[in-house]
Amino acid sequence: MAVRAQFENSNEVGVFATLTNSYALVAIGGSENFYSVFEAELADVIPVVHTTIAGTRIIGRLTAGNRKGLLLPTSTTDQELQHLRNSLPDSVKIQRIEERLSALGNVICCNDHVALVHPDIERETEELVADVLGVEVFRQTIAENVLTGSYCALSNQGGIVHPQTSIKDQDELSSLLQVPLVAGSVNRGSAVVGAGMVVNDWMAVTGLDTTATELSVIESVFRLGEGQAPSNVNSTLKDSLVESFY
Amino acid sequence: MAAPPPPSTPAAQADDLLKRPLYAFDIPRELLKSLVVKGSGQDIVPAVEPLEPTEDEKLEESSREPDPTSGMSCTLCGVKSKTVQEQRSHARSDVHRFNMKRKIRKEPPVSEVEFEKMIEALDESISGSESSSTEDEQSSDPLATLLRKKATLKAAEEVAEDSPRKPRTPIIWMSSPMLPESTYVGIYRALLPDSTEESEVTQILPTLQTTMTTALPTASDPHIFLCMIGGGHFAAMIVSLIPKVVKRSGVVEREAVVLTHKTFHRYTTRRKQGGSQSANDNSKGTAHSAGSSLRRYNEAALTADIRELLENWRGMLDSSSLLLIRATGTGNRKTLFGGDNPVIRSTDKRIRGFPFTTRRATQSELMRCFVEITRLKVSRIDDTVIAAPAAPTPTPSAPKAHVAKPKPSKEEALKLQHSTTLNTLLRRSKAPAIITYLNSNKLPFTYYLTPTNHHTPTLLHLAASQSHPTIVLALLTKASNGNKEPADLTVKNSAGKTAYDLAGDRATREIFRVARQELGEDKFDWESLGVGSPISRKEYDEATERDKTAKDAEEKERRDKETARLRSMPDASGSSSSTVGRGGKSLAEVLGTNAATNAREEETKGLSEEAKKRLERERRARAAEERMKRLAGK
Repeated sequence: MAVRAQFENSNEVGVFATLTNSYALVAIGGSENFYSVFEAELADVIPVVHTTIAGTRIIGRLTAGNRKGLLLPTSTTDQELQHLRNSLPDSVKIQRIEERLSALGNVICCNDHVALVHPDIERETEELVADVLGVEVFRQTIAENVLTGSYCALSNQGGIVHPQTSIKDQDELSSLLQVPLVAGSVNRGSAVVGAGMVVNDWMAVTGLDTTATELSVIESVFRLGEGQAPSNVNSTLKDSLVESFY
Repeated sequence: MAAPPPPSTPAAQADDLLKRPLYAFDIPRELLKSLVVKGSGQDIVPAVEPLEPTEDEKLEESSREPDPTSGMSCTLCGVKSKTVQEQRSHARSDVHRFNMKRKIRKEPPVSEVEFEKMIEALDESISGSESSSTEDEQSSDPLATLLRKKATLKAAEEVAEDSPRKPRTPIIWMSSPMLPESTYVGIYRALLPDSTEESEVTQILPTLQTTMTTALPTASDPHIFLCMIGGGHFAAMIVSLIPKVVKRSGVVEREAVVLTHKTFHRYTTRRKQGGSQSANDNSKGTAHSAGSSLRRYNEAALTADIRELLENWRGMLDSSSLLLIRATGTGNRKTLFGGDNPVIRSTDKRIRGFPFTTRRATQSELMRCFVEITRLKVSRIDDTVIAAPAAPTPTPSAPKAHVAKPKPSKEEALKLQHSTTLNTLLRRSKAPAIITYLNSNKLPFTYYLTPTNHHTPTLLHLAASQSHPTIVLALLTKASNGNKEPADLTVKNSAGKTAYDLAGDRATREIFRVARQELGEDKFDWESLGVGSPISRKEYDEATERDKTAKDAEEKERRDKETARLRSMPDASGSSSSTVGRGGKSLAEVLGTNAATNAREEETKGLSEEAKKRLERERRARAAEERMKRLAGK
């Protein structure tokens, strides 16, 4: 199911949280409202961890992870690393990466099988991504944007990419990722879908501004609602939603 | 200075254009429009169609229906994959990553083959030249190295573009469809505005054109300044670019209009030592000879003169479109550009050097230079000959030899042999032999000699000019027997003379009249050839006989006279003649024998050595017989 949330009056949910199939990271805010949204949905299933990365709250943009692992930038302190190690299941590998492009959430977009990364990340990082997250790594751009993590939200069920991604590129990426993709927006027309929402295989959290149409696209492509198949989006809703972008 | 009048007929245009020198500031309009810079590629029709897809093809490509496998292609690299595995491995390949980075930099993608080449080139270039730390990186990630190298290369290219290093030739050559094939006209780069690119010449030239006028020249006309200074000589001149049109004996000609000119000469250079006095003073210290102080004074005076002159010309110099200056050496340059308020600054954009060798600074030399620089150069370059060495020839010497001097072919050697033989026969006046030779070798009677002779191109010309009437007659009349055309009388040599015109004596000229009789009136246009009225062979023979007897008589008379004169000379002019007398022969006798020897030599002329010997033997035998007879008689 897809829910709307807000972090301290910000709709950019993906900036302040990381959601995978085995854990969720949530920034420490002034109130517990944001945390409560996650906890309400996930508390019984996966650990929801309060944390900071390098003392900041923009943990969603600095980290990248999936069911098997979590990647942290070098700026992560030892305490934070230790806290995460203690909070997350042992099956989750945690790795601090020395990478010039330190906002790992912006440059890496992954599900449990594949990852799309920024074309300029170092080879060592690429190898680490493959090892820690257990994925195939592809250097790609999304609609000419190098920040794959910002412009793509991905789960094992489907993905949503920058609204101006050409059909050809969508086809290509979809074939590469082996999941259905749609071009769409969140938070009332925001193109930064990766930073505007978080998603795993059974849940998505978007900004409070997200329209019903956007939400229904998200639910359909990530197969979050009951009886909702991605094909519905492709046939009916897609046209009304994204025709202006083609 | 002469210039072409406007061409009259289009047919003769190309020739007319080049018949007279072209003036760079008044090129005929049609020619000007059609000029194309040589080697700009505009004049060459592309032999191969460009490989890039046309606009239509591109459109078609983009609008094509997406087939089921379209998702498995890579639009970036243009690679189609059959399976997902293939596509994924391509997406992870170096070439894809390289293309991705190129795309980000807005560069066109490269094909896999190109990429391989780049990597290979990289391998060659990085071997051992880099430090060990970077070497490790290179071995692990050639792509990164390649990208880095590309980045530096691009930067270098940009730098190179900023400072053009292309060699600049003094003359820019242009071709035009109005000119004959492989003919080019050239203009001195010095005439064009500063930093003109070759490709811009055709646009700039029309702006430089002036109009011819018959009006009196004024200082407001576009003009250029020419000046030379060196070795105590100074010459300067301001010439209007609009020439005066004068008619000289019906021909329109241009005359350069010299608005003003001035030359100075001062004794400043050290005779025999060379160099200026100031240069010597600077290097060796001030000399104290009378000559040195003279020269020092003259140098200063010359500088003052020149500066005063330039100051007077300041207005015209400022309005000059070009300043052509030859001033080598610091001293000379200082004279021109130095001073408190110099008229010309050395940084002036209008300043040009003379792009050719110049002689001593004089008024006439300046004029020559003006004509030289404003005249369009015409050159005929055979591109095919130039291209020949580029063709796959095994040895470079072969085409060179071909261009320099073609080796005589077999055919030519044969021709040469024929000519030599005919020449020999002709010298010996063997008319029947010549006819037989021509017939047996199937040669035409209008035989052109090899090597080409300008005076006597044909055998007939040669025969006529060397006064061999029998051969001339044979060549003209014996042809009908051999079922061939007679020698063509109308053939002219390079001076426009027919064989008849070359005929050396009366007998040869007369023989043409005989030929006229025998060939008939309608064979040639005898009148226009200048051949006299026809005469029969008999008449000719008689005339010749008459001529000969007259000549012989004349000769005999002359000889008798001479002998008589010698005989009548006071016998023995003293002792000197007695020595001759002691020799047993008088002077007259010596003369007589000399005459006999001459006659003998005359007889043997043109014979081969063997024939001569035989003749001589016979003669001796006869003499011996004579002696025996005489002895017997006694």
